[in-house]
Amino acid sequence: MALNNLAQERRGVCYMGVSDWHRLIPLAWAHVARRTPLREQKRTCASLLCQLATASKGGSLRKVSCVEPRKYVRESECRANVTRYRLEEQRTPVARGVLEREKVISALLDMGFSDIHVNELLSMWPSVPTQQVLDFISELILLGLNPEPVYVAVKKSPELLKLPMMHVRKRSSYLRKLGLGEGKLKTVLLCCPEIFTMPQRDIDGIVGVLREKCLFTVQQVTRILHRCPYVLQEDPGELEYKFQYAYFRMGVKHADVVRTDFLRYSITRIQQRHVFLERLGRYQTPDKKGQTRVPNPLLKDILRVSEAEFLARTACSSAAEFDVFKKLFAREEEEKTESPMPDSERLSVDEEEEEEEEGEEE
Amino acid sequence: AATEPKFPATQLALQNFDMTYSIQFGDLWPSIRVSLLSEQKYGALVNNFAAWDLVSGKLEKLSARDFVNDAICHGEVEAESGQTTTPSLASGSCSPNLRCFTFPRGDVSRFPPARLGSLGVMDYYLMDAASLLPVLALGLQPGDTVLDLCAAPGGKTLALLQTGCCRNLAANDLSTSRTGRLQKVLHSYVPQDIRDGNRVRVTSWDGRKWGELEGDTYDRVLVDVPCTTDRHSLREEENNIFQRSRKKERQMLPMLQMQLLAAGLLATKPGGHVVYSTCSLSHLQNEYVVQGTIEFLANQYSIKVQVEDLTHFRKLFMDTFSFFPSCQVGELVIPNLLANFGPMYFCKMWRLT
Repeated sequence: MALNNLAQERRGVCYMGVSDWHRLIPLAWAHVARRTPLREQKRTCASLLCQLATASKGGSLRKVSCVEPRKYVRESECRANVTRYRLEEQRTPVARGVLEREKVISALLDMGFSDIHVNELLSMWPSVPTQQVLDFISELILLGLNPEPVYVAVKKSPELLKLPMMHVRKRSSYLRKLGLGEGKLKTVLLCCPEIFTMPQRDIDGIVGVLREKCLFTVQQVTRILHRCPYVLQEDPGELEYKFQYAYFRMGVKHADVVRTDFLRYSITRIQQRHVFLERLGRYQTPDKKGQTRVPNPLLKDILRVSEAEFLARTACSSAAEFDVFKKLFAREEEEKTESPMPDSERLSVDEEEEEEEEGEEE
Repeated sequence: AATEPKFPATQLALQNFDMTYSIQFGDLWPSIRVSLLSEQKYGALVNNFAAWDLVSGKLEKLSARDFVNDAICHGEVEAESGQTTTPSLASGSCSPNLRCFTFPRGDVSRFPPARLGSLGVMDYYLMDAASLLPVLALGLQPGDTVLDLCAAPGGKTLALLQTGCCRNLAANDLSTSRTGRLQKVLHSYVPQDIRDGNRVRVTSWDGRKWGELEGDTYDRVLVDVPCTTDRHSLREEENNIFQRSRKKERQMLPMLQMQLLAAGLLATKPGGHVVYSTCSLSHLQNEYVVQGTIEFLANQYSIKVQVEDLTHFRKLFMDTFSFFPSCQVGELVIPNLLANFGPMYFCKMWRLT
């Protein structure tokens, strides 16, 4: 893999490297890899990763390229016939393309992808060079993702393969800085592949809101991004509003916002359920001392549970009433944003509920 | 001098209600509470002095239904199938000619504002549909002399006129500014020839004096007393009776209400009927006042007053309104999100002697 990168940069020399590589008989090698017991495969994978890591950190590529062939030439010496056949083939451009593809395939198989997945990955976006596919996937593997989630993510969002590698590398390193590596990245990537495609300033916008406006700690931000990846797709202003609603309107503290994955829920769901409970008299915003007359229901019993369970256990109300409430509430919110109309303008509306005005004698 | 801490009267009202009504209504209170705090539902009272059939048609097109008509039909069907044991309390005892449209249960549509019709009067009057029930319960009959003791701002007064039964209607309210509003309503809805002459009289006197002023005079009396106007007090800050400065006044309300009801009963002919109504949920302003006044009149004036059972009446309107099942006397419409009308308490009485 590293060799091929080298190939892209130093054309003349690469042929030397490439022909060295030829002796590896990639196809044969692939067979070997597949027949190798899993433990050894993993070791192979690990050593590859190690080398990749070295390569990506800017280690000497040449050194890497030398290590590989020597190691595997021993293994494939017995396939000399096939080698000779290959050496002849590699002279033509078509052959070169095929060869490159073979290399990529082996590399992917080495990483632990299945045959089927390898084929799918390489045919997902035909206009993207196979090398680029490999580079991108390698980057994800380096970030600590396992092959299966990588496959799923790329399958879901093939446009990821089109990203320029420099951008991908920059983004990877940024994500590592944010604490999103390994398992954490998997969830985020599956929900939100935009985490690789979105402009840096957009991520900065979200992270900025979380850090500077909402005042979450770095660890809290990591956890939020990991567990509520959709925040990345939100408008920063709306995200801030959601937090303020939690903190000021509902009296939920930072730690609880993070712990309950509060930011994962839509503002509509939050407001509907909260205001419904509040008007029922079942939720009270804590006073300055953080106290309420009656303990509030747990946040998970408000937000996380299904609507049916919310109604049955937390609100103790009916679906029909909640439906009406939602409609009325939506209308209230809509009219709040329009200019408020004073009651007196509703000419024919009966104000039977008028105040008794004492002292207005004849 | 230290200033009082800023605490909105609407909040004080809510606190007061949470304390009293959670006990009075128990498990029902949360659903009443959420309804009081959400937009109320209106009914469109058709103006019989306009082209009422066209107006009815227009309202039907909006998918609203005349709940009065529905209730009466419902009652007639039951009477025919022999389900009612008291035919005297059947549809005949409801005040006639009242047409009021509402949207079905769960439907939150709003009526368009009322408009001036071709006959120079407005086509319908938007009001809390529950406000019509005291007028329906009063059971006007053609040729009745009617007194509306606390008439402003005029919705129920207008409904009384819509029945076409009033030989004479006396409409009174203590407050001159409020009777001003009442006059405006009458001008917009009722043709001049009916307003003129002795047919409709508007006054701004003290209702408590009516026993002396016009004792034993009226066939039907409506006493729709000033109260804590529960729904209104939760929304409007201005002039709110839960302001700290009006605490004494608020505490004196049941007394005032009893005096007004007593006056209304005294102004009724023996054999005549009175309906007492409030727009409060409070037991102290409702049943307590009725029972207290009846007892007072029995003791002080030897006047016998009997409460009339409205169970059958309530059943007619059960599909449109939510009623509280446990009133000792009278009926109480409680707000519910599916039928966000009320609160409206009403009790019908018969002056026997």
